[in-house]
Amino acid sequence: MKKYISIFLMIITLVFCRISTPLLGETVRISQIDNTSLLINQNVKLYISLTDDAGKPVKNADQNSFSFFESADGMNYIPVPDVESFSAMANYESGINFMLIIDNSGSMYRNLKKKNGSASNTTKIQQAQNAVITFLDSVSNPKDTVGLAAYNTYFRKMSDPVQDKEKVRGYLSTIAKPVGDEGYTEIYASLSKAVDAFREIKGRKALIILSDGENRPYYPNTGKAHTDYGKKVFRYTDPIRYCQEEGISVFAINFGNPNDKKERHLKEIAVETGGTVFDARDQSELESVYGAIVNQILNEYMVVYNATMEPADRKYVKVRYESGPVTREAARFYFSSTMFGMPLKKFAPLLLIPLLLSLLLAWLVSLLKFENTRTEPSLEVFNPGQTRAVTKMITLSKGKTIIGGAKSADMTIIGGVSRIKEKHATIVFDERKKNYTIVSDGEVKVNNKTVKTRVLESGDVIDVGGATIIFDDGKK
Amino acid sequence: MSSLKRRFFLCLIGALAGLCSWSAAEMIMVFQKNYPSYLFFSIFLGAVFGAIIGGFFGSSDGIIMKGRIMRGVVHGMIIGSVGGVLGFLVGQGALFVAGEYLLHSVRDFRMIGFPVSRALGWSLLGLFAGMAEGVRSRSLEKIRIGIIGGITGGLIGGLALEYLKTFFPDMMLGRLTGLLIFGLVVGFMYGLVEARLSFGVLTLLNGRFRGKDFLINQRRIRLGAGSSNDVDLNGYRNIDERHAEITAKRDELFIKADSGDSAPVYVNDDKVKDHKLKIGDVIKIGSAKLLYHYK
Repeated sequence: MKKYISIFLMIITLVFCRISTPLLGETVRISQIDNTSLLINQNVKLYISLTDDAGKPVKNADQNSFSFFESADGMNYIPVPDVESFSAMANYESGINFMLIIDNSGSMYRNLKKKNGSASNTTKIQQAQNAVITFLDSVSNPKDTVGLAAYNTYFRKMSDPVQDKEKVRGYLSTIAKPVGDEGYTEIYASLSKAVDAFREIKGRKALIILSDGENRPYYPNTGKAHTDYGKKVFRYTDPIRYCQEEGISVFAINFGNPNDKKERHLKEIAVETGGTVFDARDQSELESVYGAIVNQILNEYMVVYNATMEPADRKYVKVRYESGPVTREAARFYFSSTMFGMPLKKFAPLLLIPLLLSLLLAWLVSLLKFENTRTEPSLEVFNPGQTRAVTKMITLSKGKTIIGGAKSADMTIIGGVSRIKEKHATIVFDERKKNYTIVSDGEVKVNNKTVKTRVLESGDVIDVGGATIIFDDGKK
Repeated sequence: MSSLKRRFFLCLIGALAGLCSWSAAEMIMVFQKNYPSYLFFSIFLGAVFGAIIGGFFGSSDGIIMKGRIMRGVVHGMIIGSVGGVLGFLVGQGALFVAGEYLLHSVRDFRMIGFPVSRALGWSLLGLFAGMAEGVRSRSLEKIRIGIIGGITGGLIGGLALEYLKTFFPDMMLGRLTGLLIFGLVVGFMYGLVEARLSFGVLTLLNGRFRGKDFLINQRRIRLGAGSSNDVDLNGYRNIDERHAEITAKRDELFIKADSGDSAPVYVNDDKVKDHKLKIGDVIKIGSAKLLYHYK
């Protein structure tokens, strides 16, 4: 019993230690996931960013500090079979996609205090625009793209990420002072919307938010439904989750004054997504924004591992980073659905029944005889053409058979392109020669040749007024 | 067998192929996590699936014509398995790439992204499976027919499967329904396209196979007694093994007597050597009579 209690205590202690681990230290994040060679060699490639609590990349992390797991349901993780390669300083050549979103709420039109506490004579929004220009000027990789959006109560996207930075600069002047119900500040909703603008873009993505740091959502403050978001209240965890799913890191540039109400979650959003917060009152920090992001991405780790075969439509990948007392985890998912989708839970012997049944049915079908079973001599209308064939088919008697327009004829055919006589043609059986002869009164063709009288062979095609009639002697 | 019956028959064969391949696929898929890789899994599943679809459709000509069923099945299975592997690999590769893209770009992933990307994979699968019969008979026309029939069948079957699954998540047999529809539509489309793209039909007018239609869906059709012919007239009198040949040049058909006077060919009761066929012509070879017409 004592033994059990001590084990119990040990577990409690372990759990407690785990929970009490301070929320400081490194942040690990899967910034990009690449499944394009999954089919060819079972590999999944991960780009992992590891940053400290100041948002600075952690260099020279040991491969053994990382472990990798996969899960079909996002709950039960199993270790991946093999890590093929681990490299620091993952190269980036394809450029980075930036989305700049500028706070355009009423408070941004107040002045920003300088670092020494004195008021500057420019408004925060002017300073934010200057910060954007500083940023645009520092973008040095021509493959980088920059997009622009502004937000207050509403999220307004001005430009998708494009390579033409001058174009983006041009949009800056279109940001106008908010009027009417535009005075609220939907930070969480706007960050979530900005993620949408980014979804279709592949590669490395960074969201830069310029804000004076107060989330003042419209609906909870006014009681009126928002035209875009209705009564949905966004929590700060929403943008964190969306950004993590899409591998987007958030960098915040803070325009708040020291005694302003602070958006306490902005730092958390930044750190949790692998980004960092910069202070706008520090000009040198503003100038380092681009360099800091590039530096972070250049210092990512690239991991290639062997994927598991667990059936899943989307498979979750978890990276665990352990360094001393710190354990950090990050998860993302990639598409892993197969052509036929998810398998059955377990093998069912009943599955053999349809297999055997289909083979049996196919065998039975193959036994069907698609043969002619008639043995009597006959006349059959193969194609009535423009006539109306009252009689479709008759068995020939051993006497005279009349084809014509009369109701009393053995085979009645009316209408037609040329007039059909009452008794148009007669088929006569010859007892001695055991054959049938056609004798025509009106115009009759046999095998496309006009005839007056002709001995019929099996398969002959008789034309009466456009109707195609087949003669069959019934012999095999 | 008439053209209509033939189409019905192709649908039936398709549905049976769907049933058979479903049960085989389920049995393979249950063990997905035991396979070493997605590549191996796709190749194996594709080979079995393609072999079954190819085998069933390969048997169809043999069943209709009588004889050489097993040969058709074996050829169909071989070509079908190659087609199935290619289809599965291309489809799965495209699915991984498209799926990963759609997973992140389309908000309504369950309704649009998933079904569409999966159905595209299926239509690629149908394309390769449908081509099997054409490759087997070395006929470009038939390959064309198979491609159109296969793509449509795959797309419709795949969409049906995905949306059945979306709307009725509890339905156990969604995949079975999808595969039945897949086989049925491939068969139906094959029959439809085959008739559309054919140069017409030869219908046997007498004898034991009276009423049987031969679609002219190849540029070269051989007529004679024996299974090496496209129009096998075994069971009729006075027919050579290589008796006649019908060839299509542009949109015109020509019939040619192959072996001269010993095996004459008559068109409308006139003996011919090399004759341009027109609709309504009656061809006589030995004791067999055939009508050339459109359906």
